[in-house]
Amino acid sequence: MTAFFRMGGYAQYLWPAYGITFAVVILNIVWARRTLARARREARRRLAVRDEPVLHGEEV
Amino acid sequence: MTWTWFHRLGSPPHIYRLATRLTPWFAWPAALIIVAALYGGLVLAPPDYQQGDGFRMVYVHAPCAWMSLMVYTTLAVASAVGLIWRMKVAYAVAASCAPIGASFTAAALMTGMLFGRPMWGTYWAWDPQLTFELVLLFIYLGYMGLRSSFDDPQRADRASSMLAVVGFIDVPIIHFSTTWWNSLHQAPSVLRFGKPTIALPMLIPLLMMLLGFTLYFVAILLVRLRGEILRRERSASWLREAIVS
Repeated sequence: MTAFFRMGGYAQYLWPAYGITFAVVILNIVWARRTLARARREARRRLAVRDEPVLHGEEV
Repeated sequence: MTWTWFHRLGSPPHIYRLATRLTPWFAWPAALIIVAALYGGLVLAPPDYQQGDGFRMVYVHAPCAWMSLMVYTTLAVASAVGLIWRMKVAYAVAASCAPIGASFTAAALMTGMLFGRPMWGTYWAWDPQLTFELVLLFIYLGYMGLRSSFDDPQRADRASSMLAVVGFIDVPIIHFSTTWWNSLHQAPSVLRFGKPTIALPMLIPLLMMLLGFTLYFVAILLVRLRGEILRRERSASWLREAIVS
């Protein structure tokens, strides 16, 4: 098991390379989901702004 | 010949719903294939006769480099489609590609430096392939910077797409640079004319990585595309339906 992590003496280069790559993989998932969530929030706000006068009109 | 499929391709609500439905069909196979490829690359593949276990860095470096070029190709093709057919969805695809491609280009450069240090004795050299890969990162950043410098989204789409189409010239230069010039970087051993020059137990995990990352890219692209479509859609009543669901 330790031999696996030592990677024939390349551990100090190999594991950071894997770390960077999968950090970017995870980050892209987080960013994409956040971007979509923000777009949904903004769309909801746009719809709310537009609906308001109509709602008031109906109430009166 | 019927063109309905083409018109539906340009219809934001249709694409939005399709993207929602398709995402898990790309995301889960991508995850499975990448995990299997990790096992194949780190455990099953034998050490290289020259590079020992260090060669296993190829299983992350090559997918990152592949993403940098493949995502840019998608971005450039989508930009061209947008410019030619004035298709809003195509511009949205192009805009969604940029941050994904930029981040993987940065990862390709960084993993390449970590690969270069033990194999070449240096983190960086002003070698053609390395230099043009760095240029690609600047093209991505330029594309994103140009987009954000316009207030009018239509002008942003048009200007940034022209940059994207012109910038595509860098993609074949990167791919063929090791063949055209004397380079520190090795020539392609898989994506080349003729047979791959790499042994099967090493090749299979590599091909699986490239496939897994491609599926992963499509999944991320579909999620980003939905956000991009919502942001562009001003009027439609389907917006209400889309954000409630």
